[in-house]
Amino acid sequence: MEDFLGAIGPILQSTVRNATPLVFAALGGLFSERSGVVNIGLEGLMLIAAFAGVAGAHFSGSALVGLGTALAAGLLFALIHALMCVTFEADQIISGTAINLLALGGTGFLMVVIFGAGGTSPRVNGFASVAIPLLSDIPIIGRALFDQSLLVYLMYVLVPVVFFVVFRTPFGLRLRATGEVPEAVDTAGVNVARMRYYGVALSGLLAACGGAYLSMGLLSAFTENMTNGRGFIALAALIFGRWNPIGAAGAALLFGFALAVTFRVNEQAIPIEFIEMLPYLLTIIVLAGFGGRAIAPAAIGKPYRKE
Amino acid sequence: MAEESSGAVGAADAPVVLEMRGVTKRFGPVTANDDVSLTLHRGEVLGILGENGAGKSTLMKILYGLYTPNEGEIFVDGERVEIRDPKDAVSRGIGMVHQHFTLIPPLTVAENIVLGAEPRKGLSLNLEEAVRATEELSQRYGLQVDPRARVADLSVGVRQRVEILKALYRNVRILVLDEPTAVLTPQETEDLFAVLKELVANGLSIILITHKLGELLGVGDEITIIRDGRVVDTVKAAETNERELARLMVGREVLLRVEKEEAQTSEEVRLSAENLSVRSGTGEEAVAGVSLEVRGGEILGVAGVDGNGQTELAEALAGTRPIEDGAVYLDGEDVTRLGADALQGRGLAYVPEDRAAKGLVQDFALYENNALKTYDEPPFSRFGWIFPKIMRRRAAESLRAYDVRPADPDARAGSLSGGNQQKAVLARELSGDPGVVIAAQPTRGVDVGAIEFIHRQLLKQRSEGKAILLISLELEEIRSLSDRILVIYAGRMVGEVGPDARDEELGLLMAGHDIEEKSA
Amino acid sequence: MSQEPGVTEGRGSALGRMVAGAAGALLFPLIAILLSFVIGAVIVLATGNNPFAAYAALLEGAVGDPFALGRTLLYTTPLIFTGLAVAVAFRAGLFNIGGEGQLFIGAVTAAWLGVSLGFLGPIAIPLVLAACAITGFLWGSIPGVLKAYFGAHEVITTIMLNYVGIYLAYYLAQHPLGQKGPIPGTETIDFAARIPTISAALGRANYGFFIAIVAAVVVYLLLWRTRRGFELRAVGLSPGAANYAGMRLGLNTILALAIGGSLAGLGGGVEVLGVYGNMDVPFVTNLGFNGIGVALLGRNHPVGVILGALLFGALTSGAQEMQFATDVPLQLANVLLAVILLLVTATKLVELIVGKRARDFAAGTHLENERGL
Repeated sequence: MEDFLGAIGPILQSTVRNATPLVFAALGGLFSERSGVVNIGLEGLMLIAAFAGVAGAHFSGSALVGLGTALAAGLLFALIHALMCVTFEADQIISGTAINLLALGGTGFLMVVIFGAGGTSPRVNGFASVAIPLLSDIPIIGRALFDQSLLVYLMYVLVPVVFFVVFRTPFGLRLRATGEVPEAVDTAGVNVARMRYYGVALSGLLAACGGAYLSMGLLSAFTENMTNGRGFIALAALIFGRWNPIGAAGAALLFGFALAVTFRVNEQAIPIEFIEMLPYLLTIIVLAGFGGRAIAPAAIGKPYRKE
Repeated sequence: MAEESSGAVGAADAPVVLEMRGVTKRFGPVTANDDVSLTLHRGEVLGILGENGAGKSTLMKILYGLYTPNEGEIFVDGERVEIRDPKDAVSRGIGMVHQHFTLIPPLTVAENIVLGAEPRKGLSLNLEEAVRATEELSQRYGLQVDPRARVADLSVGVRQRVEILKALYRNVRILVLDEPTAVLTPQETEDLFAVLKELVANGLSIILITHKLGELLGVGDEITIIRDGRVVDTVKAAETNERELARLMVGREVLLRVEKEEAQTSEEVRLSAENLSVRSGTGEEAVAGVSLEVRGGEILGVAGVDGNGQTELAEALAGTRPIEDGAVYLDGEDVTRLGADALQGRGLAYVPEDRAAKGLVQDFALYENNALKTYDEPPFSRFGWIFPKIMRRRAAESLRAYDVRPADPDARAGSLSGGNQQKAVLARELSGDPGVVIAAQPTRGVDVGAIEFIHRQLLKQRSEGKAILLISLELEEIRSLSDRILVIYAGRMVGEVGPDARDEELGLLMAGHDIEEKSA
Repeated sequence: MSQEPGVTEGRGSALGRMVAGAAGALLFPLIAILLSFVIGAVIVLATGNNPFAAYAALLEGAVGDPFALGRTLLYTTPLIFTGLAVAVAFRAGLFNIGGEGQLFIGAVTAAWLGVSLGFLGPIAIPLVLAACAITGFLWGSIPGVLKAYFGAHEVITTIMLNYVGIYLAYYLAQHPLGQKGPIPGTETIDFAARIPTISAALGRANYGFFIAIVAAVVVYLLLWRTRRGFELRAVGLSPGAANYAGMRLGLNTILALAIGGSLAGLGGGVEVLGVYGNMDVPFVTNLGFNGIGVALLGRNHPVGVILGALLFGALTSGAQEMQFATDVPLQLANVLLAVILLLVTATKLVELIVGKRARDFAAGTHLENERGL
C-alpha cells in the first residue's frame, strides 16, 4: 500500500510536467480555433519556440531571455499563419502543415548555422523547479503540484484566466462570435480579420510557452524534432475538451499521463516501442470514442470574404 | 391582407428623414441600380417592391454601407452623408434586418444584441446590464423575447424579433427590413406588422423590401417599384391595387397564372406514402405521420412555410434520408428501404431544393453531372470502366433539349447561372423518361425566363402522364401548377385544397389551424 | 480540385482549352516556386553565403552529372508514391497525412517478405510489392474507418498512426525479424530479389522509378476512367450532391485512404527492394510530409505529382552538393519546400501579383469541402 501511495506522487509530478506543454498548446489552439482559424501548426509553433528559447538562453545565459525569444519566435510563425490564412485566404490545414514543415526544416537549418551541428544543442539554464512553501509540503500531491518550474505555475494561472477572457469579457464574446458567424460580427462593426489575427497571435504566444517549457523546463536542451507530435496531441485535447479551457486542460492532463508513462515504465514487460506508441494510440481512441462528432466553432476553416 | 393603411397621420407631410438621389451601382457590365431615387418621411412605412434581381437588395446594401455607389448621393435628415460601412450606417441611425439572419446560435439573445457595443464592468462583460437593456427594449416596442434564451433554441419568428432588437439597441431611427416575411407564417407576419406600427408610433421610419404585393398594400404608406434596376414609379398604397402593382413590377399585363390544360389524371397511383415519419439532421421529428398519393398525369403541390418538414419529406421520398417509420410505394412496390440510386433506377426523378450543393457537383463538367446517377450503367460504364466520350455525347443532346446555356458538355457546372444550373438538373433528371418526378423549390433563385421554361417542362411531364410532386414556398407557383394542394405544418398534412382556394384558407392551414376550427 | 482534363469555363477548341488549362494549372506552383527561391536567397545571404553560389551548387548537385541525376531519381521515386498517396485522398476530399507510417508498414513488409521469398529470385519482386500494397491498404483503411464510423478527423488520426506505424515497424524490424548484429534492423535481402539498378553511371538509381511512373498512370486511369474514380472525385468535390446521387460517402472515404495507404506502402516496398535491401532502425524520414507538398504542387494530378516529386527530389539531391560546396546546410532544401507549400495555397497573394483572373485557376490549392477540426 505504501509503495503504491509512494508511487502516486512521482507519477503525478511527471504527469503534470508532461501535461504542461500540452495545456499551453491547447489553450493557444483554443484562441485560434474559436476565432475561426484551424491551427494544425501548433506542433511547429512549439518546436520553433523550443529552439528559439534554447538559443536565447544559450547566448544570454538567462532562462527568462530565452522565454522572451521563444515567445517572439512563436509569435512570428503564428503571424505567418495568420497572414496566409486570414489575408491570403490559404487553406488553413495546408498552411498549418507548412508551418510545421517550416519549423522542422528551419530548426534543423538553424541548429547547424548557430550551434554548428544537428542533433542536440548544448545544455542551457532552464526553468528549474521552485517549491512553493507550505503548499509543497502537502502529503502525496504537494510535491507533485507545487514543486514545479515557474512555467508550470504560469500554466495553473492561465487556465482560469483564459476561461475568464473567453467567456466573460467583450473580447471573448467577439472572438467566439467571429468563429461562429463572422457576418454578424462584421455587421456589428467589429473587424473580423483583426479578431482572427489576435486569435492566431495568442495561439503563437501560448504554444511558445509550451515549447519553451519543453526545452527549458521538462528537458534542458533542444533536440531535433523534440515535440514529436505533442502539438497534435494538444489539438486532440482541445477537441476532446470541446474547445473549453477547463475541458482541454483536463484532456491534456490525461495525455500528459500517457506521455509520463513512456518515460518511466521499464522495458521488461512490454517492448519499448509499444510503450512509445501509447500516447498516440490513446489520442486515436479518445478521438474516435468521444471527440469525433464534437461541434467545432461553426465558421472554422473558411476564409471570411465580404460580399 | 386587407387592413387599413398604417401610416401616422400626415406621414407624407412629415419631414424627410432619408433621401437617396440618383444612385447608380455597376458591377462590371451589369448595372444593378440605375439612377435610383427614393424619399422616406418620418413615421412612414415605405415599401420597395420588385422581383428577384430587380436591384432592391443592392440598393439597401448601398444604404447600409456594404457597397459604395458609382454615382448618387444619400441624405440623412437633410444632411449629405457618406456611408462607408455598416458601422457608419448605424452611427447615422440606419439599421438593417437582413433576410438571412446574422445571429449567433450558441450565444444568448442578450449576447447577440449587445455584440459590438457591449456594456462593461471593468474588464468583464456586464451581462446583467445587457439583459436589463434587452428587457427594456423588449417591453417598449412589444417584442417579446427571453434575454437569457439561446438563439439556437428559438423559432424563426422570435429570431427575427432579436434581429430587430439588435438594431433598436443601437438607437436607429430608420429601420430597413429585407424580405422579412419570407420565412414567416401568415400569423407571424401579422405580428410583425403590428410591431412595425408600434415602431412607427415611436417615431421610427421604416423601409420594407419585398416582392409580395399584398403585404405592402396592408402595411405600407408609399410604395416605390423597382424594375431592372430603375425606379418605375412611386405610388401611395391607399391609391393602388394588386393588379396595378404587379403590372408595374413586371412590366406587362401579368397573367398571374400559367396556361394549364385540363387534368387528365389516370386512376393509377404511382407514388404513395403511408404514415411516414422522418427525422431531421438534428434528430428531431421533421415528418410525423404523413400520407399522400400522387397519380399519373397530376401535379400534387405541397405548400407550407419553410421549415415545416417539406425538405425532409422530399428527401425521404427520394431516398436520400432514412425513413424511421411508415412506408413508401413506387408503382406498387415497397421502396421504403431503397436509396436514391435504386429509386432512380426505378424511374424516380428528383430535382432537389439545393441544386448548388445537392443537385450538381459544381466543379464537375456538365457531362459528368449529367451522368451523376447513371455513370455506373451502360452505355456509360462497363466492367468498372467509364467512357467520357459517350457521356459527352449524351450530355450535349440533353443540354440542348433543355435549353441550358451554354450547352457545352465540358463547361464547369459552377460557371452557369442559377437558372441554367437548374435546367441542367432537369435535363439530367427528366431525360431518363422517369415515371415519377419530385421537384423541390424548382425555381428558387432562378430568373423569370427560366422559371417559365421550367414550369412548362413540368406541365409537359404532366401531360405525358407522369406523376409529379411539387414542393414549393411560392404560393403562386403551387397554385398555378398544381391540380391538388396539400398543406404541411409541423411535419403533418393539415389539409387538402384545390388550386382555387382562398388565400385566407391557405394561410390558416399553413399556420396550423384546422379549417373547420375557424368559426364565424 | 477540378483540373480535370479539358474542364474549363466556356468555349474554345479542345486543344486550346487543354493548353489554357495546363497553363493555369502551372501558374500557382510556378509563382510559389519562384517566390520561395527568392526567400531562400535571402536566408542564404543572412547566413553570410552567396546565394548564386548556393543555387549553382544546388543545380549541379541535382542534374549536373549522371551521378547527380541518379541521386535525384533516387529521391524522386518515393516522393511520387507518397505524393500519389496524398493526391488520391485529396481528390476524395480527405487529408492523408499518414504517408509516413504507411510507407514504413510497406517497408517492413518488404523487408520481411524479401528475405523469406528471396529464394524465388526476381519473381519475388512483384509478389513482395503486391504484399506491400496490401498491408499499406489495410493500414490506410484504419483512419478511413475511424472517420466513416466515428467521425474522427483524418488529419489527427493519420498523424497519430504515423507514430504508431513507425514504432510498430521498428519493433517488427528488430524483434521477430531482426538480424543479430551491431546495427538494429532486418537481414539484407538477396540481390537476386532486389530491384535492379539502371546503370552504373546513374549510381544507385533503380527501376523503382519506372514502377512509380506506372503507379502514376494507374492512378490516372483509376480517377478518370473507372467508376470508383468517378465516385471518389464526386464525393471529394461535393459530398452533398454525391450523397443525393446515391453514392456512399463512408465507403469512398475508407477506400480513398486505403488506396492512399497502398500507394505509400508500395513506395516503402520499392525503397527497401530497390535502394536499401533491408530496413535499418532508424529508416528514412519525412517522405510522407513531403508527399503533401508534392501533391499540392502537382495540383493533385498524377502528372503534376511526378513533376512535383522531380522538383523536390532535385532539391534534396542538390542540397547535398550545396552543403558540400558552400557552407549552407542541406536543411535549406526542407525550408524551401515548406515555403513553397505555404505559398502554393496562398491564392490571394498570387491574385495580388497576377490579377483577379487568377482565381479561376485556384482549383486544387484548397480542400474544398473540409469541415474544421
